[in-house]
Amino acid sequence: MTLLADAASVAGVADGAQAGDAQVTAPPSGGIHRLPLKAGSRAAVQSAVDAAVAAAGAPDLVVLSVMPAISQQLTELADLPEAAWHESVREALRTTLHILQAIGPAMADRGGTVVFLAPSLSLVGCRGLVPLTTALEGQRGLMKSVARQWGHRGITLNWIAVTPGTLSPALAAAPLAIKADAVPVALGRGLELGSEVAPVIVFLASAAGRKITGATLCLDGGEWMLP
Amino acid sequence: MSGTDDVKLLAGRTALVTGAGGGVGQGVALALAAAGANVVIAARRAATGEETAALIIAAGGRALSLPVDVSDRGQVIGAVDDSVKHFGGLEIVIHNASSGLAGKPAKLEDITDAMWDEQCAVGLDATYYLAHAALPYLRDHGRGRFLVMSSAQGLHGGAMNPAYPAVKNGMRGLVKALAREWGRHGILVNAVAPAALTDAAAAYFERNPEIRAKIMQGIPLGRLGDSQSDIGAAVVAMCSDHWRYVTGLTIPVDGGNYSAL
Repeated sequence: MTLLADAASVAGVADGAQAGDAQVTAPPSGGIHRLPLKAGSRAAVQSAVDAAVAAAGAPDLVVLSVMPAISQQLTELADLPEAAWHESVREALRTTLHILQAIGPAMADRGGTVVFLAPSLSLVGCRGLVPLTTALEGQRGLMKSVARQWGHRGITLNWIAVTPGTLSPALAAAPLAIKADAVPVALGRGLELGSEVAPVIVFLASAAGRKITGATLCLDGGEWMLP
Repeated sequence: MSGTDDVKLLAGRTALVTGAGGGVGQGVALALAAAGANVVIAARRAATGEETAALIIAAGGRALSLPVDVSDRGQVIGAVDDSVKHFGGLEIVIHNASSGLAGKPAKLEDITDAMWDEQCAVGLDATYYLAHAALPYLRDHGRGRFLVMSSAQGLHGGAMNPAYPAVKNGMRGLVKALAREWGRHGILVNAVAPAALTDAAAAYFERNPEIRAKIMQGIPLGRLGDSQSDIGAAVVAMCSDHWRYVTGLTIPVDGGNYSAL
Protein backbone atom coordinates (compact mmCIF):
# COMPACT_ATOMS: atom_id res chain seq x y z
CA MET A 1 0.00 0.00 0.00
CA THR A 2 1.40 3.37 -1.03
CA LEU A 3 1.11 5.27 2.21
CA LEU A 4 4.77 6.21 2.57
CA ALA A 5 4.52 9.38 0.54
CA ASP A 6 2.01 10.90 2.89
CA ALA A 7 2.41 9.38 6.30
CA ALA A 8 5.35 9.84 8.56
CA SER A 9 4.54 6.77 10.54
CA VAL A 10 2.00 4.17 9.59
CA ALA A 11 1.84 1.18 11.86
CA GLY A 12 0.00 -2.04 11.58
CA VAL A 13 -1.55 -4.09 8.86
CA ALA A 14 -2.78 -6.90 11.03
CA ASP A 15 -2.93 -10.25 9.34
CA GLY A 16 -4.75 -12.70 11.50
CA ALA A 17 -4.16 -15.44 8.97
CA GLN A 18 -0.52 -15.82 9.75
CA ALA A 19 0.51 -17.75 12.78
CA GLY A 20 3.85 -17.41 14.47
CA ASP A 21 5.53 -14.98 16.75
CA ALA A 22 4.88 -11.31 16.32
CA GLN A 23 7.42 -9.65 14.08
CA VAL A 24 7.95 -6.17 12.87
CA THR A 25 9.50 -5.76 9.46
CA ALA A 26 10.34 -2.27 8.33
CA PRO A 27 10.74 -1.95 4.56
CA PRO A 28 13.93 -0.26 3.34
CA SER A 29 12.22 3.08 3.00
CA GLY A 30 10.78 2.78 6.54
CA GLY A 31 7.41 3.97 7.71
CA ILE A 32 5.19 0.92 7.30
CA HIS A 33 5.27 -1.92 9.74
CA ARG A 34 3.51 -5.14 8.84
CA LEU A 35 2.52 -7.20 11.85
CA PRO A 36 2.01 -10.93 11.40
CA LEU A 37 -0.01 -12.03 14.39
CA LYS A 38 -0.84 -15.23 16.14
CA ALA A 39 -4.61 -15.18 16.17
CA GLY A 40 -6.23 -15.60 19.56
CA SER A 41 -3.16 -14.66 21.58
CA ARG A 42 -3.57 -11.43 23.48
CA ALA A 43 0.08 -11.54 24.50
CA ALA A 44 1.29 -11.88 20.91
CA VAL A 45 -0.89 -8.98 19.78
CA GLN A 46 0.35 -6.79 22.59
CA SER A 47 3.93 -7.78 21.87
CA ALA A 48 3.53 -6.93 18.18
CA VAL A 49 2.00 -3.56 18.91
CA ASP A 50 4.65 -2.78 21.52
CA ALA A 51 7.36 -3.66 19.01
CA ALA A 52 5.82 -1.43 16.37
CA VAL A 53 5.50 1.48 18.77
CA ALA A 54 9.08 1.00 19.92
CA ALA A 55 10.26 1.04 16.32
CA ALA A 56 8.12 3.81 14.91
CA GLY A 57 6.52 5.69 17.76
CA ALA A 58 2.84 5.99 18.55
CA PRO A 59 0.80 5.18 15.45
CA ASP A 60 -1.11 7.92 13.67
CA LEU A 61 -2.87 5.44 11.43
CA VAL A 62 -3.66 1.78 11.90
CA VAL A 63 -5.14 -0.26 9.07
CA LEU A 64 -6.77 -3.54 10.02
CA SER A 65 -7.87 -6.40 7.80
CA VAL A 66 -8.64 -9.39 10.04
CA MET A 67 -9.82 -12.25 7.83
CA PRO A 68 -8.43 -15.67 8.77
CA ALA A 69 -7.62 -17.73 5.68
CA ILE A 70 -10.00 -20.47 6.81
CA SER A 71 -12.89 -17.98 6.80
CA GLN A 72 -12.28 -17.30 3.11
CA GLN A 73 -12.83 -20.93 2.13
CA LEU A 74 -16.21 -21.52 0.56
CA THR A 75 -18.19 -23.84 2.85
CA GLU A 76 -21.92 -23.76 3.48
CA LEU A 77 -22.82 -23.44 7.14
CA ALA A 78 -24.46 -26.86 7.23
CA ASP A 79 -21.12 -28.43 6.27
CA LEU A 80 -18.94 -26.23 8.47
CA PRO A 81 -17.20 -28.00 11.35
CA GLU A 82 -17.37 -26.29 14.72
CA ALA A 83 -13.61 -25.83 14.86
CA ALA A 84 -13.73 -23.90 11.58
CA TRP A 85 -16.53 -21.72 12.96
CA HIS A 86 -14.50 -20.92 16.04
CA GLU A 87 -11.38 -20.09 14.08
CA SER A 88 -13.26 -18.05 11.50
CA VAL A 89 -15.52 -16.11 13.82
CA ARG A 90 -14.47 -16.30 17.44
CA GLU A 91 -10.75 -15.99 16.91
CA ALA A 92 -11.13 -13.24 14.34
CA LEU A 93 -13.32 -11.20 16.65
CA ARG A 94 -11.13 -11.83 19.64
CA THR A 95 -8.03 -10.82 17.67
CA THR A 96 -9.75 -7.60 16.66
CA LEU A 97 -10.63 -6.90 20.29
CA HIS A 98 -7.04 -7.53 21.34
CA ILE A 99 -5.65 -5.26 18.62
CA LEU A 100 -7.93 -2.39 19.57
CA GLN A 101 -7.18 -2.85 23.26
CA ALA A 102 -3.45 -2.80 22.50
CA ILE A 103 -3.42 0.24 20.22
CA GLY A 104 -5.85 2.32 22.28
CA PRO A 105 -3.33 3.33 24.94
CA ALA A 106 -0.66 3.90 22.30
CA MET A 107 -2.92 6.37 20.48
CA ALA A 108 -4.48 8.00 23.53
CA ASP A 109 -2.06 10.93 23.82
CA ARG A 110 -2.12 12.19 20.23
CA GLY A 111 -5.24 10.63 18.84
CA GLY A 112 -5.18 8.98 15.46
CA THR A 113 -7.15 6.97 12.96
CA VAL A 114 -8.06 3.31 12.69
CA VAL A 115 -9.31 2.05 9.33
CA PHE A 116 -10.78 -1.39 8.79
CA LEU A 117 -10.34 -2.74 5.26
CA ALA A 118 -12.82 -5.44 4.27
CA PRO A 119 -14.54 -7.00 1.26
CA SER A 120 -17.92 -5.53 0.38
CA LEU A 121 -19.48 -9.00 0.43
CA SER A 122 -19.92 -8.75 4.18
CA LEU A 123 -22.37 -5.89 3.70
CA VAL A 124 -24.69 -7.95 1.51
CA GLY A 125 -23.92 -11.56 2.47
CA CYS A 126 -22.41 -14.34 0.43
CA ARG A 127 -23.35 -17.99 0.11
CA GLY A 128 -20.53 -20.14 1.40
CA LEU A 129 -19.03 -17.38 3.50
CA VAL A 130 -21.37 -17.15 6.50
CA PRO A 131 -18.50 -17.19 9.04
CA LEU A 132 -16.56 -14.47 7.22
CA THR A 133 -19.66 -12.29 6.93
CA THR A 134 -20.46 -12.84 10.60
CA ALA A 135 -16.94 -11.98 11.71
CA LEU A 136 -16.68 -8.88 9.54
CA GLU A 137 -20.07 -7.50 10.50
CA GLY A 138 -19.19 -8.18 14.11
CA GLN A 139 -16.01 -6.17 13.62
CA ARG A 140 -18.02 -3.38 11.99
CA GLY A 141 -20.40 -3.21 14.96
CA LEU A 142 -17.39 -3.10 17.27
CA MET A 143 -15.82 -0.35 15.15
CA LYS A 144 -18.87 1.89 15.53
CA SER A 145 -19.10 1.38 19.27
CA VAL A 146 -15.42 2.08 19.84
CA ALA A 147 -15.73 5.16 17.60
CA ARG A 148 -18.28 6.45 20.12
CA GLN A 149 -16.17 5.53 23.12
CA TRP A 150 -12.90 6.95 21.76
CA GLY A 151 -14.17 10.04 19.98
CA HIS A 152 -13.35 12.26 22.92
CA ARG A 153 -9.73 11.08 22.73
CA GLY A 154 -9.44 12.22 19.12
CA ILE A 155 -9.30 8.64 17.81
CA THR A 156 -11.49 7.98 14.80
CA LEU A 157 -12.49 4.59 13.43
CA ASN A 158 -13.94 3.90 10.00
CA TRP A 159 -14.72 1.00 7.69
CA ILE A 160 -13.75 0.74 4.05
CA ALA A 161 -15.43 -1.91 1.91
CA VAL A 162 -13.77 -2.82 -1.37
CA THR A 163 -14.52 -5.21 -4.20
CA PRO A 164 -13.76 -8.66 -2.72
CA GLY A 165 -11.22 -9.72 -5.33
CA THR A 166 -9.18 -6.61 -4.53
CA LEU A 167 -8.27 -8.08 -1.15
CA SER A 168 -8.01 -11.77 -1.89
CA PRO A 169 -8.00 -14.02 -4.95
CA ALA A 170 -9.99 -16.57 -2.91
CA LEU A 171 -12.82 -14.08 -2.58
CA ALA A 172 -12.82 -13.27 -6.29
CA ALA A 173 -13.99 -16.85 -6.84
CA ALA A 174 -16.89 -16.58 -4.36
CA PRO A 175 -20.52 -16.63 -5.59
CA LEU A 176 -20.89 -12.93 -4.99
CA ALA A 177 -24.28 -11.27 -4.80
CA ILE A 178 -25.25 -9.66 -8.08
CA LYS A 179 -27.36 -6.60 -8.61
CA ALA A 180 -29.87 -6.71 -11.41
CA ASP A 181 -29.10 -3.28 -12.80
CA ALA A 182 -28.19 -1.96 -16.22
CA VAL A 183 -25.13 -0.36 -14.60
CA PRO A 184 -24.02 -2.73 -11.82
CA VAL A 185 -20.78 -0.80 -11.12
CA ALA A 186 -20.93 2.95 -11.75
CA LEU A 187 -17.22 3.33 -12.57
CA GLY A 188 -17.17 0.06 -14.46
CA ARG A 189 -14.65 -1.66 -12.15
CA GLY A 190 -13.49 -1.93 -8.56
CA LEU A 191 -10.74 0.30 -7.24
CA GLU A 192 -7.05 -0.51 -7.17
CA LEU A 193 -5.83 -0.89 -3.62
CA GLY A 194 -2.55 0.97 -3.77
CA SER A 195 -3.29 3.88 -6.08
CA GLU A 196 -6.99 4.42 -5.43
CA VAL A 197 -7.97 3.09 -2.00
CA ALA A 198 -4.83 4.11 -0.13
CA PRO A 199 -5.27 7.85 -0.78
CA VAL A 200 -8.70 7.69 0.82
CA ILE A 201 -7.18 5.99 3.86
CA VAL A 202 -4.56 8.72 4.02
CA PHE A 203 -7.30 11.34 3.81
CA LEU A 204 -9.13 9.72 6.73
CA ALA A 205 -5.94 10.13 8.77
CA SER A 206 -5.60 13.80 7.81
CA ALA A 207 -6.88 16.73 9.85
CA ALA A 208 -9.92 17.06 7.59
CA GLY A 209 -10.53 13.32 7.47
CA ARG A 210 -10.52 13.01 11.22
CA LYS A 211 -13.89 14.68 11.32
CA ILE A 212 -15.25 11.37 9.98
CA THR A 213 -15.80 8.52 12.39
CA GLY A 214 -17.98 5.44 12.62
CA ALA A 215 -18.54 5.61 8.87
CA THR A 216 -18.73 2.86 6.29
CA LEU A 217 -17.32 3.83 2.90
CA CYS A 218 -17.91 1.66 -0.11
CA LEU A 219 -14.84 2.03 -2.32
CA ASP A 220 -16.08 -0.47 -4.87
CA GLY A 221 -16.43 1.65 -7.96
CA GLY A 222 -20.00 2.56 -7.07
CA GLU A 223 -21.37 -0.96 -6.88
CA TRP A 224 -23.41 -1.27 -3.70
CA MET A 225 -24.14 2.34 -2.77
CA LEU A 226 -25.39 1.61 0.75
CA PRO A 227 -28.76 3.20 1.59
CA MET B 1 -54.51 -12.49 23.82
CA SER B 2 -52.14 -10.73 21.45
CA GLY B 3 -54.34 -7.76 20.78
CA THR B 4 -54.48 -8.58 17.05
CA ASP B 5 -57.20 -10.26 15.04
CA ASP B 6 -58.00 -13.74 16.26
CA VAL B 7 -56.50 -15.47 13.24
CA LYS B 8 -54.37 -18.56 13.78
CA LEU B 9 -51.66 -17.67 11.27
CA LEU B 10 -49.29 -20.30 12.62
CA ALA B 11 -51.68 -23.15 13.32
CA GLY B 12 -50.00 -26.52 13.02
CA ARG B 13 -46.48 -25.12 13.23
CA THR B 14 -43.95 -25.54 16.00
CA ALA B 15 -41.65 -22.76 17.17
CA LEU B 16 -38.55 -23.00 19.37
CA VAL B 17 -37.78 -19.72 21.17
CA THR B 18 -34.58 -19.29 23.19
CA GLY B 19 -34.44 -16.97 26.18
CA ALA B 20 -38.20 -17.13 26.49
CA GLY B 21 -38.33 -17.11 30.26
CA GLY B 22 -39.07 -13.40 30.37
CA GLY B 23 -38.88 -10.07 28.57
CA VAL B 24 -39.07 -9.99 24.79
CA GLY B 25 -38.66 -13.77 24.53
CA GLN B 26 -41.67 -14.44 26.70
CA GLY B 27 -43.75 -11.91 24.80
CA VAL B 28 -42.78 -13.48 21.49
CA ALA B 29 -43.56 -16.97 22.80
CA LEU B 30 -46.99 -15.87 24.00
CA ALA B 31 -47.75 -14.21 20.68
CA LEU B 32 -46.69 -17.27 18.70
CA ALA B 33 -48.91 -19.46 20.86
CA ALA B 34 -51.86 -17.11 20.45
CA ALA B 35 -51.33 -17.41 16.70
CA GLY B 36 -51.76 -21.16 16.94
CA ALA B 37 -48.15 -22.37 17.10
CA ASN B 38 -46.89 -25.06 19.42
CA VAL B 39 -44.16 -23.31 21.38
CA VAL B 40 -40.99 -24.75 22.86
CA ILE B 41 -39.51 -22.44 25.47
CA ALA B 42 -35.76 -22.85 25.83
CA ALA B 43 -34.59 -20.94 28.90
CA ARG B 44 -31.43 -21.28 30.95
CA ARG B 45 -33.44 -21.24 34.19
CA ALA B 46 -36.10 -23.95 34.24
CA ALA B 47 -38.42 -21.99 36.55
CA THR B 48 -38.75 -19.02 34.20
CA GLY B 49 -39.32 -21.23 31.17
CA GLU B 50 -41.99 -23.17 33.01
CA GLU B 51 -43.72 -19.94 33.92
CA THR B 52 -43.97 -18.98 30.25
CA ALA B 53 -45.22 -22.45 29.36
CA ALA B 54 -47.85 -22.25 32.11
CA LEU B 55 -49.14 -18.94 30.78
CA ILE B 56 -49.49 -20.41 27.29
CA ILE B 57 -51.26 -23.53 28.51
CA ALA B 58 -53.59 -21.52 30.75
CA ALA B 59 -54.65 -19.56 27.67
CA GLY B 60 -55.43 -22.72 25.76
CA GLY B 61 -52.16 -23.07 23.86
CA ARG B 62 -49.59 -25.87 23.61
CA ALA B 63 -46.13 -25.42 25.12
CA LEU B 64 -43.10 -27.34 26.25
CA SER B 65 -40.44 -25.89 28.54
CA LEU B 66 -36.83 -27.10 28.24
CA PRO B 67 -33.92 -25.90 30.37
CA VAL B 68 -31.17 -25.10 27.84
CA ASP B 69 -27.82 -23.36 27.95
CA VAL B 70 -27.63 -22.24 24.32
CA SER B 71 -23.85 -21.86 24.48
CA ASP B 72 -23.65 -25.65 24.87
CA ARG B 73 -23.92 -27.35 21.51
CA GLY B 74 -25.10 -30.65 22.94
CA GLN B 75 -27.94 -28.96 24.82
CA VAL B 76 -29.02 -27.10 21.70
CA ILE B 77 -29.07 -30.31 19.67
CA GLY B 78 -31.05 -31.97 22.46
CA ALA B 79 -33.57 -29.13 22.56
CA VAL B 80 -34.18 -29.32 18.82
CA ASP B 81 -34.55 -33.09 18.94
CA ASP B 82 -36.90 -32.91 21.94
CA SER B 83 -39.01 -30.27 20.17
CA VAL B 84 -39.43 -32.49 17.15
CA LYS B 85 -40.17 -35.57 19.26
CA HIS B 86 -42.78 -33.75 21.32
CA PHE B 87 -44.62 -31.87 18.61
CA GLY B 88 -43.78 -33.91 15.52
CA GLY B 89 -41.86 -31.21 13.66
CA LEU B 90 -40.17 -27.83 13.81
CA GLU B 91 -40.90 -24.95 11.48
CA ILE B 92 -39.70 -21.87 13.36
CA VAL B 93 -36.54 -21.11 15.35
CA ILE B 94 -36.18 -17.79 17.12
CA HIS B 95 -32.85 -17.11 18.81
CA ASN B 96 -33.63 -14.44 21.38
CA ALA B 97 -31.34 -15.37 24.28
CA SER B 98 -28.46 -13.09 25.09
CA SER B 99 -25.79 -13.05 27.74
CA GLY B 100 -26.50 -11.57 31.14
CA LEU B 101 -23.48 -9.33 30.48
CA ALA B 102 -25.16 -7.77 27.46
CA GLY B 103 -26.82 -4.97 29.35
CA LYS B 104 -23.82 -4.09 31.51
CA PRO B 105 -21.84 -0.95 30.63
CA ALA B 106 -18.17 -1.58 29.82
CA LYS B 107 -15.34 0.41 28.36
CA LEU B 108 -13.45 -1.42 25.63
CA GLU B 109 -10.27 -1.55 27.69
CA ASP B 110 -12.10 -3.23 30.58
CA ILE B 111 -13.57 -6.10 28.54
CA THR B 112 -11.83 -9.32 29.51
CA ASP B 113 -11.59 -12.39 27.30
CA ALA B 114 -14.08 -14.12 29.60
CA MET B 115 -16.63 -11.30 29.25
CA TRP B 116 -16.13 -11.22 25.48
CA ASP B 117 -16.28 -14.97 25.05
CA GLU B 118 -19.47 -15.31 27.10
CA GLN B 119 -21.32 -12.78 24.99
CA CYS B 120 -20.04 -14.25 21.72
CA ALA B 121 -20.92 -17.76 22.82
CA VAL B 122 -24.55 -16.96 23.68
CA GLY B 123 -25.08 -14.67 20.70
CA LEU B 124 -23.00 -16.05 17.85
CA ASP B 125 -22.03 -19.63 18.62
CA ALA B 126 -25.59 -20.41 19.70
CA THR B 127 -26.90 -19.14 16.37
CA TYR B 128 -24.52 -21.49 14.56
CA TYR B 129 -25.56 -24.42 16.79
CA LEU B 130 -29.28 -23.72 16.28
CA ALA B 131 -28.89 -23.36 12.53
CA HIS B 132 -26.97 -26.62 12.25
CA ALA B 133 -29.39 -28.58 14.40
CA ALA B 134 -32.59 -27.17 12.97
CA LEU B 135 -31.85 -27.16 9.23
CA PRO B 136 -33.09 -30.73 8.56
CA TYR B 137 -36.50 -29.80 9.98
CA LEU B 138 -36.83 -26.29 8.57
CA ARG B 139 -36.10 -27.14 4.98
CA ASP B 140 -38.11 -27.93 1.93
CA HIS B 141 -41.68 -27.47 3.16
CA GLY B 142 -41.88 -23.71 2.64
CA ARG B 143 -42.69 -22.86 6.26
CA GLY B 144 -39.14 -22.72 7.62
CA ARG B 145 -38.31 -19.54 9.50
CA PHE B 146 -35.02 -18.73 11.26
CA LEU B 147 -35.07 -15.45 13.20
CA VAL B 148 -32.54 -13.86 15.49
CA MET B 149 -33.00 -10.96 17.85
CA SER B 150 -30.52 -8.29 16.89
CA SER B 151 -30.52 -4.74 18.26
CA ALA B 152 -30.41 -1.15 17.18
CA GLN B 153 -27.21 -1.05 19.22
CA GLY B 154 -25.70 -3.25 16.54
CA LEU B 155 -26.95 -0.93 13.82
CA HIS B 156 -25.72 2.33 15.31
CA GLY B 157 -22.82 0.98 17.36
CA GLY B 158 -24.06 1.65 20.87
CA ALA B 159 -21.39 3.03 23.18
CA MET B 160 -22.56 1.26 26.32
CA ASN B 161 -20.67 -2.02 25.84
CA PRO B 162 -18.70 -2.67 22.61
CA ALA B 163 -19.16 -6.42 22.87
CA TYR B 164 -22.92 -6.04 22.46
CA PRO B 165 -22.90 -4.23 19.07
CA ALA B 166 -20.18 -6.60 17.92
CA VAL B 167 -22.37 -9.60 18.66
CA LYS B 168 -25.61 -8.08 17.43
CA ASN B 169 -24.15 -6.80 14.17
CA GLY B 170 -22.34 -10.10 13.74
CA MET B 171 -25.74 -11.78 13.93
CA ARG B 172 -26.98 -9.34 11.29
CA GLY B 173 -24.12 -10.40 9.03
CA LEU B 174 -24.87 -14.05 9.65
CA VAL B 175 -28.49 -13.46 8.64
CA LYS B 176 -27.51 -11.82 5.35
CA ALA B 177 -25.25 -14.67 4.31
CA LEU B 178 -27.38 -17.53 5.66
CA ALA B 179 -30.41 -16.17 3.84
CA ARG B 180 -28.48 -16.60 0.60
CA GLU B 181 -27.61 -20.20 1.50
CA TRP B 182 -31.02 -21.25 2.73
CA GLY B 183 -33.19 -19.51 0.18
CA ARG B 184 -33.07 -22.56 -2.06
CA HIS B 185 -34.40 -24.65 0.85
CA GLY B 186 -37.38 -22.32 1.19
CA ILE B 187 -36.21 -21.06 4.58
CA LEU B 188 -36.48 -17.37 5.40
CA VAL B 189 -33.69 -15.95 7.58
CA ASN B 190 -34.23 -12.55 9.20
CA ALA B 191 -33.37 -10.49 12.25
CA VAL B 192 -35.50 -8.25 14.42
CA ALA B 193 -34.14 -5.21 16.27
CA PRO B 194 -36.79 -4.65 18.95
CA ALA B 195 -37.33 -1.75 21.32
CA ALA B 196 -39.48 -3.10 24.13
CA LEU B 197 -40.55 -2.01 27.57
CA THR B 198 -39.45 -5.06 29.47
CA ASP B 199 -39.62 -5.31 33.27
CA ALA B 200 -35.89 -4.62 33.40
CA ALA B 201 -36.28 -1.53 31.21
CA ALA B 202 -39.19 -0.30 33.31
CA ALA B 203 -37.17 -0.68 36.49
CA TYR B 204 -34.28 1.20 34.91
CA PHE B 205 -36.54 4.08 33.84
CA GLU B 206 -38.06 4.23 37.32
CA ARG B 207 -34.55 4.97 38.61
CA ASN B 208 -33.61 7.23 35.67
CA PRO B 209 -36.70 9.17 34.54
CA GLU B 210 -34.63 11.72 32.61
CA ILE B 211 -33.24 8.96 30.40
CA ARG B 212 -36.74 7.66 29.77
CA ALA B 213 -37.82 11.11 28.61
CA LYS B 214 -34.81 11.36 26.30
CA ILE B 215 -35.45 7.96 24.75
CA MET B 216 -39.14 8.64 24.21
CA GLN B 217 -38.25 11.82 22.33
CA GLY B 218 -36.49 9.71 19.73
CA ILE B 219 -39.38 7.34 19.11
CA PRO B 220 -42.00 8.66 16.65
CA LEU B 221 -44.69 6.47 18.19
CA GLY B 222 -43.86 7.91 21.59
CA ARG B 223 -43.52 4.67 23.53
CA LEU B 224 -41.51 1.49 23.83
CA GLY B 225 -43.15 -1.62 22.48
CA ASP B 226 -45.04 -4.26 24.35
CA SER B 227 -43.13 -7.55 24.16
CA GLN B 228 -46.19 -9.54 23.13
CA SER B 229 -48.60 -7.26 21.31
CA ASP B 230 -45.94 -5.22 19.49
CA ILE B 231 -42.74 -7.27 19.16
CA GLY B 232 -44.51 -10.63 19.26
CA ALA B 233 -47.09 -9.54 16.73
CA ALA B 234 -44.39 -8.50 14.28
CA VAL B 235 -42.58 -11.81 14.75
CA VAL B 236 -45.82 -13.70 14.12
CA ALA B 237 -46.26 -11.82 10.87
CA MET B 238 -42.67 -12.54 9.83
CA CYS B 239 -43.17 -16.23 10.52
CA SER B 240 -46.46 -16.42 8.66
CA ASP B 241 -47.07 -16.87 4.95
CA HIS B 242 -47.71 -13.12 4.65
CA TRP B 243 -43.97 -12.41 4.72
CA ARG B 244 -42.88 -15.30 2.52
CA TYR B 245 -40.90 -13.10 0.14
CA VAL B 246 -38.79 -11.33 2.78
CA THR B 247 -35.40 -12.71 3.75
CA GLY B 248 -31.92 -11.55 4.71
CA LEU B 249 -33.13 -8.41 6.49
CA THR B 250 -32.82 -6.81 9.90
CA ILE B 251 -36.19 -5.23 10.70
CA PRO B 252 -36.33 -2.62 13.46
CA VAL B 253 -39.56 -3.13 15.41
CA ASP B 254 -39.09 -0.03 17.48
CA GLY B 255 -41.79 2.53 16.90
CA GLY B 256 -39.63 4.30 14.31
CA ASN B 257 -36.62 4.83 16.56
CA TYR B 258 -33.94 3.70 14.11
CA SER B 259 -34.69 4.89 10.60
CA ALA B 260 -31.24 5.12 9.02
CA LEU B 261 -31.60 1.96 6.94
